[in-house]
Amino acid sequence: MRRILIVDDAATVRMYHRGILESAGYLVEEAWNGIEALEKALEAPFDLYIVDINMPKLDGYGFLRELRQQQIAQQPAVMVSTEAAAGDERMAYQSGANSYLVKPVVQSQLLSHVRLLLGEANQ
Amino acid sequence: MSPVPPNPLLEQFISESRDLLEASGKKLMQLEDAPDDQVILNELFRCVHTLKGNSGLFTFPEMTRVLHAGEDLLGMVRSGQAIYSRELADRLLDAMDYVGLLCGEIEATDGIDASRALESQHLADALRKLMPNLIPNQDAAAVRDGDSPVVANAQTSPADNPSADLKQFAAIPAVARKSALERCRQGDQLHWISYRPQRECFFHGDDPLNSARQTPGLIWGRILAPGPLPPLSELDTYSCLLGFDLLTNAPREELDQYYRYLPDQVEIIAVPAQWLEKGHGDADGASKALSRAIPSGSFSEDDEAAFNWILAAQRQILLLDDRPAWHAGRLKAIAEVLANLSQAVGETSTRSDIQTALAEALSTGHNTLLLAWLDAWIVTRKTIQPVAGLSWARGTDGIMAAAKTDSNLDVGSATAGDPSKAPADEGVRFGRRAEDSLTGTRSLKVDQTKIDRLMNLIGELVVEKNALPYLAQRAEVQFGSRELSREIKGQYSVINRIADEMQDAIMQVRMMAVSFVFQRFPRLVRDTSRKLGKEVQLVLEGEQTEADKNIIESLADPLIHIVRNSLDHGLESPEVRLAAGKPATGKLTIRAAQEADRVVIEIVDDGKGIDPAVIKQKAYEKGIIDEATLERISDQEAINLIFAAGLSTAAVISDLSGRGVGMDVVRSAVEKINGTVVIESELGKGTSIRISLPLSMAVTQVMVIESDGQLFGVPMDHVIETVRVTRDSIHAIKQTKTAVLRGRIVPLKSLNTLLGIAAIPRLNSDDELAVLLVQAGNAELGLIVDGFQETMGVIQKPFSGFLTGLSAYSGSALMGDGSVLMILNIREIV
Repeated sequence: MRRILIVDDAATVRMYHRGILESAGYLVEEAWNGIEALEKALEAPFDLYIVDINMPKLDGYGFLRELRQQQIAQQPAVMVSTEAAAGDERMAYQSGANSYLVKPVVQSQLLSHVRLLLGEANQ
Repeated sequence: MSPVPPNPLLEQFISESRDLLEASGKKLMQLEDAPDDQVILNELFRCVHTLKGNSGLFTFPEMTRVLHAGEDLLGMVRSGQAIYSRELADRLLDAMDYVGLLCGEIEATDGIDASRALESQHLADALRKLMPNLIPNQDAAAVRDGDSPVVANAQTSPADNPSADLKQFAAIPAVARKSALERCRQGDQLHWISYRPQRECFFHGDDPLNSARQTPGLIWGRILAPGPLPPLSELDTYSCLLGFDLLTNAPREELDQYYRYLPDQVEIIAVPAQWLEKGHGDADGASKALSRAIPSGSFSEDDEAAFNWILAAQRQILLLDDRPAWHAGRLKAIAEVLANLSQAVGETSTRSDIQTALAEALSTGHNTLLLAWLDAWIVTRKTIQPVAGLSWARGTDGIMAAAKTDSNLDVGSATAGDPSKAPADEGVRFGRRAEDSLTGTRSLKVDQTKIDRLMNLIGELVVEKNALPYLAQRAEVQFGSRELSREIKGQYSVINRIADEMQDAIMQVRMMAVSFVFQRFPRLVRDTSRKLGKEVQLVLEGEQTEADKNIIESLADPLIHIVRNSLDHGLESPEVRLAAGKPATGKLTIRAAQEADRVVIEIVDDGKGIDPAVIKQKAYEKGIIDEATLERISDQEAINLIFAAGLSTAAVISDLSGRGVGMDVVRSAVEKINGTVVIESELGKGTSIRISLPLSMAVTQVMVIESDGQLFGVPMDHVIETVRVTRDSIHAIKQTKTAVLRGRIVPLKSLNTLLGIAAIPRLNSDDELAVLLVQAGNAELGLIVDGFQETMGVIQKPFSGFLTGLSAYSGSALMGDGSVLMILNIREIV
């Protein structure tokens, strides 16, 4: 099973994303800030990261920079934000995100993204 | 399409919202004292931000609107564009209260009443008014609603097309907006239709609602009243007063054809994608071109959109010309994504090409090959038409320009330092664990009924285990088996110990810090004192002191009342204080501490104190005391009169603490949970009120006494001591029996008489009477009983049903042998 890490400080958002991803058969883990996410990722890299921007201690940008800095196999990362702001989107790409979605992410949209980023053939 | 949340998600949302609201309130209070504290400000911002983000998962526009305004405002404070002020704090607190209210409503009814919308708009407007450089009108506020950044466009777009007022787009919910944008990216042209049927349209055979609904390509629509509506009594049901706004992706010709009979009532405007969304507009051309390159057979609409989106994003990243320390990792991730994308569309052979391009990019530091591969891949996926190619190029320029301006950005600012060094710094921080954070607490939220059930069960266990000693006795006396008796006793002591520990553990679970009640005081004191025009400094001490949940909860109302009284009647206005030689700012201290098995809470103010003369006079006027009492009572006794019902000391009745009802209510509320309240006051210096409460209500220590062959329990809180008094040392003063105990004259009363039992008190062989010295209110009294027995912990059950009227008893408890012990209500019987 493909493992996905949800990094978000909002428990409600984590629960929402987890629900969608688990129903599609993915193995989901959660981290509530960048530091915790890094610890988990360094322990065993995930196949995909879904990352919030604004978090305590280490925000999403910081987490992605650190993740990309670590010269391990590089898995795709999606940044989710509450703002459809161009500045935030550029910053996300600079930091190492591979895509940028605006919350709330609709179920079908999230699953399409995840499937494609994981290279899964479509049924 | 819209995210329909399962119920647990909603519950999670409400619960998290409550936590966040509480945290926000606390942070706002802290900011009041330290408005420049960036850390607190950031935390506050994040709270509101998260709240808003969460609310966006559901369709609660009323909530999102207010939170969005709050977030924007705080964002401006954070960046120094707006200044923190009391008014700002007030408005934010109002907003938080409102959101809390909505949470309650959602919890109760699963939704928000439509009537809340107006309030929400007012609150959001009030917040936006505090933002500088922004038109503080409703339109600007409305435009920023939802999660669309239309404001950024607001300066340019309306000029291009004056008839398209951008605020209209704000009404489009995010979900519809997104779906519209996706259509747009697939090459559809969006149209905004504003359809204003004529008033008399019904007489022309028009069916406007149906027409609107049947509009081709309808994505979203709304009904609105373009003009003011007349009062209900004058409303003509045969005239059409409503209009429609519609968003469709049907081609213009089709729309013109559809509305050909209503040209004068319909306005159709072409909507470019960037009106709906800024920032992605430049990628649209590319997406348009790309969408034709994708095999559409196995792809859903969402897949196509996602595919285009991701591809465009990778291209945008490759065009970045910054070279941060994590550049290599970033490239690898792109390569991974590209390989996965091609795998997803069934082209597995491209992986090696991508790897080659990646290796080249990594070794040379130029992305050219990767970029070339990407572009080539798009081209080899064929069918890109010249026109599309053009727009692709234009799109590229856009992205490039964006990347150029971007390189001027200080990327490191987010990590506060040189980006190349940042990772090393952050590496050190791995040691930190999640436990030392607020949200990571290892606590468990449990429904109170579950705890109550445990509590009841342990109560029964405690009572049932007391049957074992009786059983042991029977084994010995009735069946003559001393050994069995001893074994039972042995087992009993083990069970006893475990039950005690278990009871203790469950009590611990029920323990709550008084901060639960205290936390509302900063806000209460702030709001109240400002309403009264007084300056008050609130000092809270011992907030971590714990007591049983029920005690803490029943403490809230009396405490609030006392605090209000202090603010209203105790503390003076700044002018009066200065004139009296006191600092202008009054001080109100609320202090909690544990003393033995009781919690003591003191509310101390340095206000004007209570004038005993005024109280005496008032009490006399209201007939609470007679003239003789008026002459006789001491100042302290006079001050205690404040607890008498119906006494108001306020010269002016204020809406805050009411009419001086209150202090008597406070006392009865405190006494109901076996507490006591004592007041001390010094004229001109201030007042101190001391509430003493048991730590827990669950187990009551009682002394068992005997009277006329029956057993009664007296709560140990009331028991001062047990004494034996010889008959001849009892004297009668004015028909009252008294005895001198420890140098004081104490009135004596026979329990039999008080309970209406005819029997006379029994004397023991030494001609002595058993007297239980009890405290009833502020007075001491000797209760003449027949004998004393042991003290024990019992679970007191209040009476229910017909027995509730028995005021002489506060409840009953089960004894170990199964008999019922009546617990006396000392205050009532004396």
